Amino acid sequence: MTALPGPVLLLSTGVTGLVVLLLLSVGGAHLARRRREQRDASRRAALTPLVYNLLDGEQTAQSLADAPAVLDDVVLHLLPQLRGNDRQVLRDLLVARGVVDRAAEQLSARAPWRRGRAAMLLGATGSTRHTPDLVTLLEDRSPDVRSAATRALGKAGDVAAVPYLLAALTTFRPVPSGIVGMAVLDLGTPALPALRTALDSGTASARALSASLLGLHGDLPAVAALTAALDDPGAPPHVRRAAAGALGRIGAPQAGDALSRVTVFAVDPALRQAAAEALGRIGDPDCVPALAAGMSASDLRVRTACADALASITPEGRDRLRALGALDGPAAPAARAALDAVSSAAPRSLAGAS
Amino acid sequence: MREFLVDALLTAGWVLTAHVALFHLVTLLLVLAGARRVWRNRHWRGVEGHDETFASPLTPAVSILVPAHDEEAGILDTLSAALGQKYPALEVVLVDDGSTDRTFALVAARYALREVAPRPTADLPVDGEILSVHRATTGDPLLVLRKHSVGRRSDALNAALNHARHPLVCMVDADSLLETEALLQVSRPFVEDPDNVVAAGGVIRAANGALTDRGTMLEPRLSRRWVVRVQVIEYLRSFLLGRTGWADAQALLIISGAFGLFRRDVVLEVGGMDPNSLAEDAELVVTIQEHLRRRRRPHRVVFVPQTVCWTEVPESWQVLGRQRKRWSHGLGQLLWKHRRMIGNPRYGPIGVLALPFFLLFELLGPVVEIVGVAAVVTSMVLGLVEPAIAGAVLVLAIALGVLLSATAIAVEELTYHRYGRGRDLLGLMAAALVEHLWFRWAHSWYRLRGLVAALTRRSPVWTAMPRVGFSGHPASAGRPVPADVLVPAERLVPVGS
Repeated sequence: MTALPGPVLLLSTGVTGLVVLLLLSVGGAHLARRRREQRDASRRAALTPLVYNLLDGEQTAQSLADAPAVLDDVVLHLLPQLRGNDRQVLRDLLVARGVVDRAAEQLSARAPWRRGRAAMLLGATGSTRHTPDLVTLLEDRSPDVRSAATRALGKAGDVAAVPYLLAALTTFRPVPSGIVGMAVLDLGTPALPALRTALDSGTASARALSASLLGLHGDLPAVAALTAALDDPGAPPHVRRAAAGALGRIGAPQAGDALSRVTVFAVDPALRQAAAEALGRIGDPDCVPALAAGMSASDLRVRTACADALASITPEGRDRLRALGALDGPAAPAARAALDAVSSAAPRSLAGAS
Repeated sequence: MREFLVDALLTAGWVLTAHVALFHLVTLLLVLAGARRVWRNRHWRGVEGHDETFASPLTPAVSILVPAHDEEAGILDTLSAALGQKYPALEVVLVDDGSTDRTFALVAARYALREVAPRPTADLPVDGEILSVHRATTGDPLLVLRKHSVGRRSDALNAALNHARHPLVCMVDADSLLETEALLQVSRPFVEDPDNVVAAGGVIRAANGALTDRGTMLEPRLSRRWVVRVQVIEYLRSFLLGRTGWADAQALLIISGAFGLFRRDVVLEVGGMDPNSLAEDAELVVTIQEHLRRRRRPHRVVFVPQTVCWTEVPESWQVLGRQRKRWSHGLGQLLWKHRRMIGNPRYGPIGVLALPFFLLFELLGPVVEIVGVAAVVTSMVLGLVEPAIAGAVLVLAIALGVLLSATAIAVEELTYHRYGRGRDLLGLMAAALVEHLWFRWAHSWYRLRGLVAALTRRSPVWTAMPRVGFSGHPASAGRPVPADVLVPAERLVPVGS
């Protein structure tokens, strides 16, 4: 311990100096930030009416070409909230101010945040000119940049990007399925043919996602392919679950038989649950026997899902629930709870209250 | 004998010095990793606006689970904040865990509860009997379970898990306020990467002293109490720097029980909350990661630093001491239970980085600090070490600690800057300086007592923290309670009997 004093004192002094410097910097940053916020707020207040004038046709994009950079923030904030001609006017303004060209150049910047921000900006402007560049970014080193490019492709509205987006699920540097899903949803119904193709011949991940998205779109032409996927015992469980969910969302009664079979006979409880929920959404009285059979399942999730599904089929399903609720056995509590949940009876008094 | 004593004292001094140096080195690396991430996010967060998540049909529904025991001071504010979340589909499951105060009565009056048949969706073991189940008739998606308390938060959470219906579960303390977009922010990783993300946590901040109204944070302000201020610094350091760094290293060990979002199927798969753990939040995260790693299933535990949950922290030394002792006791239980993971590369960064760090610095740190300081003082008294040298080492240790706290304040100011008033910033700076003069030592003492409790295998005891509420006035978000709903729990009959 006796050999310490010199270096320790030196180190202590250095660290103390660093602390003082840091705290002074924090104080300075606090003051600078407050000033900057006030300045930006006043600039925004001055520039926002000009943007509205532009939208009303009282001003030209060229007249705002040299306005301060805060204007870009104002425009980018407004852009997602607008549609049609107003949106196009603001896009033209960004082009006139050189924002789009600068962003396109930044797509190959060294810093990931520059590439990502540029991709996001190009997506917001809805430009399809840069689709190939954005597709290239789907294999970027940075996960954040890949995600930004995916979102940008969805917002840009180029439906030719769908196969690339679905392929990005399973590449060496994959994009998470939720981000791809949101991007494809952004593309709207023009993406449906590509999704149907992917449901038939894509990878397992692409099939599962395509099934979910087709269900969200309520795509009737996909019912046959979704039923086939559900009925295929060789298909991965998550694809079958997604197909079951999609059939329920579409509300396809023609899938009732397949869903009933899965509800009663499938091995995977999660798949049985998904099928029962789908039957509840479809609401076909012909499925009541299958759901009632599902109420005797050993898995609580399956029983609960079947009970909820029966409760949504009136009056046949609820009648069956009343009968099941009056019996003994594991189905009875689930039946009574499901009926209670949909009951519109007057509130009971609280237990114990007098 | 004297030689042995001298050697022991000098060794203890060296161990203390090495421990302090190593701790600060590791923490500095974590801070640098966290600061790098935070700095990068200044330019671009890498995510879209929350409106997309809100509008997306892919956003999964969430069950917010709120265990409550004698929480009349803030329960209505907490529920207002939870039910007022900007989120497309959610339900709140409140468990009144044997409250002896007006917790249930206030909720029953505010939300016009009606009793319904229990509708379990899972069958995790629960020790405390479920007395009754109620649903709000005000249109709020609120389910309330009344149960006998067995003195464990985990038991209440397991009861809530058994009645939750949605694929994600968010565990929130009954003395916490979620910011309006907190759920939307913390759920984003699940929306974007539903196949891999299994748990996510946000930042916890101290609500004491802040301006709130009916569950809404109006203006964060720094409390005047120093014991609260130093906890604010501690939370900033832990969440803004520590957890961001651990998450980047794929070694996040703790998601605070005050605010954490989990995939329900995974929580059920591991058997829910450990009924005997005092650190059930960390215990759940470690168990999930152990379970998934053993099965070689890909998974991610993420930290979302933008998300904020405001919570009430202890305002007295006595309560703080009890809390920290319990945390340390819980950490001891956790490390013992998962001892096979410590240093084991099979468990990845959790096994080789996080768990050894928590063992060496969080659990054993107080022993080294207290024994080491005692040894140095004894050495000075015996003339073995010059006071100037000991003083220099002490000053260095304090300066390094202050540097970490100052870095946390700098990150807060440069990125999130929640405290708008200059005087709050000055208060934080002052707290960063004084924290290491006294709080650190008291904290070490509490943690040492927790470690002793863990080593002697004392029965875990959950002690409720006295609450003052967010506005300082109990039941601020409610109406007066009619006398007929004030039913003590002991008068209720268990469900099914």
